[in-house]
Amino acid sequence: MEKRHDSTMYLLILFFASILIMSTSLPVLAHKVIIFAWVEGNTVFTESKFSGGREATGAQVLVFDREGKQLLEGKTDNKGKFSFKIPKLTDLRIVLDAGMGHKAEWRIPESDIKEAGGVSEKKRAGESTQPINVGLSKEEIKELIEESLDRKLRPIVRMMTESQSKGPSVTEIVGGVGYIFGLMGVAIYFRNRGKKRHEVNREN
Amino acid sequence: MHISEGVLSAPVLITGATLAAVGVSVGLKKMDYEKIPQVAVLSSAFFVASLIHVPIGPSSVHLILNGINGLLLGWMCFPSILVALALQAILFQFGGITVLGINTMNMALPGVICYYLFSRLVNREKKRISLTAAFACGLLSVFFSGILVALSLLFTEQSFIPVAKLIVVAHLPIMIIEGIITLFCVAFLHRVKPEVLGGIYGKAT
Repeated sequence: MEKRHDSTMYLLILFFASILIMSTSLPVLAHKVIIFAWVEGNTVFTESKFSGGREATGAQVLVFDREGKQLLEGKTDNKGKFSFKIPKLTDLRIVLDAGMGHKAEWRIPESDIKEAGGVSEKKRAGESTQPINVGLSKEEIKELIEESLDRKLRPIVRMMTESQSKGPSVTEIVGGVGYIFGLMGVAIYFRNRGKKRHEVNREN
Repeated sequence: MHISEGVLSAPVLITGATLAAVGVSVGLKKMDYEKIPQVAVLSSAFFVASLIHVPIGPSSVHLILNGINGLLLGWMCFPSILVALALQAILFQFGGITVLGINTMNMALPGVICYYLFSRLVNREKKRISLTAAFACGLLSVFFSGILVALSLLFTEQSFIPVAKLIVVAHLPIMIIEGIITLFCVAFLHRVKPEVLGGIYGKAT
């Protein structure tokens, strides 16, 4: 009885170990979808991916304002990208619906949009545009700086997108399997205790 | 196959969770001392299998292994899949905690159905019958899961047939691969440990 049990365990462990090995050598990818959005100038750019890096193409993107009113919608292109002009100055909630029950969202707070100069309120407000000695207005300098910052930061933004969409790490996988076996131990412990008590009762 | 959080409405979530709870309690009742390690091993197989992506077909699909889970565990595949899904939700953010019930339901119920449909056939001495049944078990369990996912999305997507079609088509390669995996598992177990296939069947019914 005991021996039979052991070999069953062996067999199944072998089976699952081979799966584990397969999973680490294959590109890891699974059912989770992410949308990532950032503001550049007066445009919002979004990138949508399945975890593991495959782009979510042709997925529906919906944009809502703070009150939950839908502002616009669109579809991601064949690189999972979708961009739109900022429709109004408000918190934006961007929802990605990749179908088959896959959904993700990303929020852009109002302050981000303001900072990025999304809706050029400052210009309208008539902020002092005195020329400084270089002959450029404060506005223009600001715009130049913002432009070059956008350009410089783009790779970092991309990196962040990528790190966001990374699949689960080996640590997590092994950890999860560890949890399962831990639970098995707990279950066996309680069953065993119940059994022993039962036996004791019977003996009495 | 995992449904994300925030897609389904509360009644669907509650129904799913209730049904899953029933399944899990039936499974726990059937799970006796000797079966616990086996449940754990199949649970971890299920847990890891979702990470194996099959790069065929239009969408991102992965192995599910609910067929072999159901075939070997019967009702016990409910607790097995629940634990694996809970860990996937916590560690990988697949699915989520609120959709745990409905996801468990969608993947474990086909396993149980396949158990009742095929375990008797898989047990047969004749290799051809046994292996064909194993293949069908792996294939159909994924198919049923697809149908159940489409059913749960029925209330949000407003349409059943197109969604079901989409899911089933996306999972066609997986269905075939799962069929083959189940077939090999059964062939292997037949040779090495036929009691695993037979013993459980005798006990659970």
